[in-house]
Amino acid sequence: MSVGEEPRRTDAWVLPPGIPAPGACEDLRAGDLPVRHPARDAVDADGLISALRAARRDLAAIATEEMVRILGDATDTLVRELDRADLLDIAANGRLSEPMARAVVDGMAPSWTSAAIGRLVRAEFPDPRVLDGFVAEAGRRVRAAGPAVTLHFGAGSVPGVTVTSMIRALLVRSAVLVKPGAGDIALTLRFARLLRRADPRLARAVAVQYWPGGAPEWDRWERDLLRAADQVVVYGGDAAIESVRARAPAATRLIEHPHRVGVAIVGDSIVGDATAAATVRIAAATARAATLFEQRGCVSTHLVLVLAGEPAVREFCAALATSLAALERELPPGRRTPAELSELHQRRGRLAMKGAALWPDAPGGWSVVLAPAGAFEPVGSRTVWVLPVDGFPACLKELAPLSPVMQTVGLAGIEPDRAEALAEDLLAIGATRIVGLDQTPFPEPDWLHDGSRPLRELVRWGELRQSPVDQDPPRSRRRGSSADCASRPIRVRSAT
Amino acid sequence: MRAGAAAASGVGPGAIVEVLDELAELFRQGGAGLAESADFDRIALRVHAAQRAFNPVLRRYWDAVSNRVPSTWREIPPVPVGAFRDVPIVSGTPEAVFRTSGTTGDGLRRGEHHVASLRLYRAAARGNYRRHLFAGAPALRIVSLVPDPARVADSSLAAMAGFIAREPEVAHAVWAFDPARGVDIASVRKAVGTAEGAAPPPILLLSTAFALVQLVDALAASPVSLPGGSRIMETGGFKGRTAEVGRATLYRRVHRTLGVAESHIVNEYGMTEMLSQAYDCVAGQAPPPDERVHRFPPWVRSRALDPSDLSPLPPGRPGLLAHFDLANAASVCHLLTEDYGSVTADGGVRLLGRAPGAAVRGCSLSAEAFVRAIR
Repeated sequence: MSVGEEPRRTDAWVLPPGIPAPGACEDLRAGDLPVRHPARDAVDADGLISALRAARRDLAAIATEEMVRILGDATDTLVRELDRADLLDIAANGRLSEPMARAVVDGMAPSWTSAAIGRLVRAEFPDPRVLDGFVAEAGRRVRAAGPAVTLHFGAGSVPGVTVTSMIRALLVRSAVLVKPGAGDIALTLRFARLLRRADPRLARAVAVQYWPGGAPEWDRWERDLLRAADQVVVYGGDAAIESVRARAPAATRLIEHPHRVGVAIVGDSIVGDATAAATVRIAAATARAATLFEQRGCVSTHLVLVLAGEPAVREFCAALATSLAALERELPPGRRTPAELSELHQRRGRLAMKGAALWPDAPGGWSVVLAPAGAFEPVGSRTVWVLPVDGFPACLKELAPLSPVMQTVGLAGIEPDRAEALAEDLLAIGATRIVGLDQTPFPEPDWLHDGSRPLRELVRWGELRQSPVDQDPPRSRRRGSSADCASRPIRVRSAT
Repeated sequence: MRAGAAAASGVGPGAIVEVLDELAELFRQGGAGLAESADFDRIALRVHAAQRAFNPVLRRYWDAVSNRVPSTWREIPPVPVGAFRDVPIVSGTPEAVFRTSGTTGDGLRRGEHHVASLRLYRAAARGNYRRHLFAGAPALRIVSLVPDPARVADSSLAAMAGFIAREPEVAHAVWAFDPARGVDIASVRKAVGTAEGAAPPPILLLSTAFALVQLVDALAASPVSLPGGSRIMETGGFKGRTAEVGRATLYRRVHRTLGVAESHIVNEYGMTEMLSQAYDCVAGQAPPPDERVHRFPPWVRSRALDPSDLSPLPPGRPGLLAHFDLANAASVCHLLTEDYGSVTADGGVRLLGRAPGAAVRGCSLSAEAFVRAIR
């Protein structure tokens, strides 16, 4: 397939064996990808959930170590087999350029390897055997069990977000029903099909189906799923999250990942020279943090506070502009629609009207905005706002209003002994991820996503305490048994 | 040398008032003499010089986005209509402040157009509405589903409806819309009933597309018949609060419920940020909706610009619409809109609606959600 050719039409479903293929479908364009998805009621919601629920035994039979290996192998296959046509589908779906789609997959996939998800499991559960059965712990035995079925609502157009969500649920042995974000259909389907191929037990525990989320005609379908699922993970904007909250039964656990904004703080080690090595290095890291995912990720950097006076900050802006221009060549933006371009022109004009300094002079694929305090808005389209501040207190004052929506803070040029105190203050105003600026785009697999434990939030803990009399076996049974019998693990199924 | 110092030189303190007076007179004469490019440019550049001299906000903007001294109106950088949400753009003391509808629910501030001369507004609006709506009718009655300007002082559309109601041909005006309660159906029925009799004067119904849908919905079960020669001005649908029906469907329903033929329904294209308006036909002579072209008065120039770099597009090619309206002399003439359309070879405008293609969102917060969350 050559560049410019119409992307392939994608069938946007992966259903467990035994669930008939949809008889009626509807077509739409997801980004620039032609997509065919099951028509409303073409798949029986109750039947689908029942099939996934029945896969519980299959999942329980897979030990954690084996699950880590299966998921990691699927990732290896994904990376190995991902051909140009797949990549173009992913790019068209998220309206990304092909190099950007490649950069996103290459950046996300390392967090899905066996080594990475093994590290995630160990970070979440120091004794990972709690995911396989009861484990002795200070006078009792405890077990971490995922619910039978987790329903996932993916977010918009960041490829890979939904794959991460699926992996997490499968690690805690919960079957998954996934509605990917409109721009994350292609990669999610690809991964789900690899899981199907990898192990028949996973084939029975994974379902993916796209539908136009939130559309009034899909309300009943969504309500049916929300009622039947045991747990719901929802990524999305305020309206999507509030809609799920309003319709999910009170007993259903909701795990919410609302939209977030990322910022950066650059210390005073930068110098007033756009070509100085430190300035160039930090500007390059800032540009990458703002460019990857087309600034659509919850981790994406939008605002940079620079602890320096305005002349030095202008030098930093110039260096940042140079880096963004270089990245535009390396990772070109995807196709922008007239509406997006209109918004861009309106915003640039409004900023110029407010007296902001803008780089470059003419509208292009990116912008640096040196604007007055209080003017910041996360407008996207590779727009980096730069604000001079004269110390950490001023920094915190600027960031405090962002408290309800702040997530990642990238730090650069700040000495380690000052960073911890700053992190304390940032945590107090809402930041949950404080990392080196160059680490912002791709979180580690065990990151505390929106301030939560990514696997622990998915499980229910069960405890088993037996009374002494039950622990003392009857004389008749003791005869013929041996001490090793008492040490054999007791298999108790979680009630969830 | 920057454009500012050059262009502003020789502009005295009374320049804006002088220009506004001259323009009002020019508009009253129908804009004769503006058809030629050189004449239009001469006035446009004079207005631009006055705006540079007396409006520091505009001067700063133009200096930021261009270092070129314009030699034609085309070279004056357009100001995005969104800027009306941020700063007052006015040379002189405003007589009125018109506000955008702010109905898109995005949590953002409403745009404000500070208008220095209502006399100039009336002069700019009058010729075009008389030509397209009155169309030589000796007498008309007004039924307005646009709010009464006495009750809604910050609506430019209401102000224009007020101008229309004061025309000598207008015997009577009924204001049948309340911003809080919507269309006053009983008042409309009563007005139509009152008009019945021997050769009653035709009605000019002024309405937003949104209110017109409300009206035809309410009258669907019991239609009325407006007197012969009645006509409708409908507007809106390009500023976010779109009626959920296509225009052709709406016109058919209007015919069924009000008895007004499609040929007598005129679409007005206007915006709070702009004091001149365009109409897509003369009442009673309208071609089918898909053949209509909006016409501004001669003191407006329109272009379709390439969305990627704002370069001008040839006639027939759709792009972002920019208008240069001399009636905006006291605020800003050259406007970059969010509307999508093409221009015809003779300067008409074919509207296609809002620029297509919704923005792609990820899990990063949008500016609108950000504003809602923190302010």
